[in-house]
Amino acid sequence: MNVFGIAIPAGYEFAVNMMLIIIKIAVVIAVTMLHVLYATYFERKVIGHMQIRLGPMTTGYHGLLQPIADSLKLFFKEDIIPAASDRTVFQIAPIIFLFAALSSLGVLPFFEGFWIANINIGVLYLLAMSSLGAYGVILAGWSSNSKYSFLGGLRSSAQVISYEVAMGLSLAGVMLMAGSLNLTEIVHAQQGHWYGMFIIPQFLGYFVFMVAAFAETNRTPFDLPEAESELVAGYFVEYSGLRFSLYYAGEYIGMLVMASIAVICYMGGWTLPPVMVKALPFLATMPAVFGVAIFLVKVYFHIFLFYWIRATVPRYRYDQLMSLGWKVMIPLALTNIVVTAIVKFIAQ
Amino acid sequence: MTIKDLAQKIFLLEILKGMALTLKMMFTRPITRQYPKEKREPVPGFRGLHALVRREDGNAKCVGCGLCAAVCPSKCISVYTSEASDHTKVVDRYEIEVLRCVYCAFCVEACPYGAVALTEHFAYCDYAREPFFMDKEKLLANWDKFMAGQKGEDYFKKFWRPMSEDFAAHADQAVFRGTKPTPSLSSGGPKKEAVIGVNHAA
Repeated sequence: MNVFGIAIPAGYEFAVNMMLIIIKIAVVIAVTMLHVLYATYFERKVIGHMQIRLGPMTTGYHGLLQPIADSLKLFFKEDIIPAASDRTVFQIAPIIFLFAALSSLGVLPFFEGFWIANINIGVLYLLAMSSLGAYGVILAGWSSNSKYSFLGGLRSSAQVISYEVAMGLSLAGVMLMAGSLNLTEIVHAQQGHWYGMFIIPQFLGYFVFMVAAFAETNRTPFDLPEAESELVAGYFVEYSGLRFSLYYAGEYIGMLVMASIAVICYMGGWTLPPVMVKALPFLATMPAVFGVAIFLVKVYFHIFLFYWIRATVPRYRYDQLMSLGWKVMIPLALTNIVVTAIVKFIAQ
Repeated sequence: MTIKDLAQKIFLLEILKGMALTLKMMFTRPITRQYPKEKREPVPGFRGLHALVRREDGNAKCVGCGLCAAVCPSKCISVYTSEASDHTKVVDRYEIEVLRCVYCAFCVEACPYGAVALTEHFAYCDYAREPFFMDKEKLLANWDKFMAGQKGEDYFKKFWRPMSEDFAAHADQAVFRGTKPTPSLSSGGPKKEAVIGVNHAA
């Protein structure tokens, strides 16, 4: 076995592999946490400027140190556990939420070979992990012993479960076209076509996926679980300090994961359409750097889309949300699957 | 349903229009004022903290007529006067409870001599109520601090021009015309009427 040109003696392979995986995990989590910090800053700036405001300005140059100040404040705040709450569940719930979000990062390929694990059921694993987050939400709502938390938790679980269906069905179109559940294989399959991105044949699936992604991550216009105007903050009303920040981090990691899935499954991941690769020959000089950069540009465009929608669209009513999910999104996704399957059958 | 309605439903035209608007707004100049750093220039006649006008000789211009206290809708002005040995009216205490004031500037309007003013200072705060109970000395200090010089001059010449600046009473009209002691009054013992109907200014 050979790692970075250093020959590893026999018997140490397992230890070295473990070390490498731990280092990879540490790097991914560190980068993601830094992303979460500055994603909040990015969101506040984007929404501020869309509302002709400035956003944070005083902490550091143009408020650049604001996320650090926020996280320090949350870190040193008192951790309050309500007396009437179910203590154990209350303490575990935010950890479940954050872990469900973080473990999704394990299978995301950022570039050819830049992954922690390359498993053959990547898409299925991502769907499973994103639904697992609902446990964190509903347990928080239940254990807080507060009517607002409970309503928020119930709304969230109902919403996540119903949009999970639409999301899975919309990704089925991609699976049909790629013939694989492996995320890297899906990216490779997109390179095989002249358009290089599944968004073009799968525009319907992409639309359903994005709507479902908004609902899954509890973002506006589907932020009913935490509807500020009705439920104060929804399922995490009773949380404070570090536990509150775990929910916050989980939400932003959820957005990152959803944006990454959209990029990998519909936008060609770290690759560009063949036409553009031919037009820009300098990309081949440093494939890893440009590949990761292309991936990040696409991901941050999707994250910007989350903020953009939040600044534009008002919140749906709960029955509208449910009827949109079951009566519009699922039929659309099913239509998409049928059409994709027929076209693929004819093309063979 | 017309084709236009159908297109609007399918392509979410309304939402796309809204998104175009928010994107456009993102590149317009924010209208935020960074308040402590960027202060807004007060408009003329701004109604801020109260002040009593100081004359050139250092005393308050106020003659103690009490019109400001009478007109004040929140009754936050109290004027206490007494008679001096030369029978002039002396303002002993002139007090304003700033926290009760509604900043209507009726006092400024009512004052016949332009003796009370509302300065352009508005950002005042403290940990107790006492600092906002303004006596005569504090009010005169406010004038020195915020309105002395050209600013105060402009305030009464251009904006709150008191009646006495432009209108002189008819010689026979019964008005208060100052406190110049007359021989008859100074020798007349403890008479307490103000001097009325004698035009000293003329």
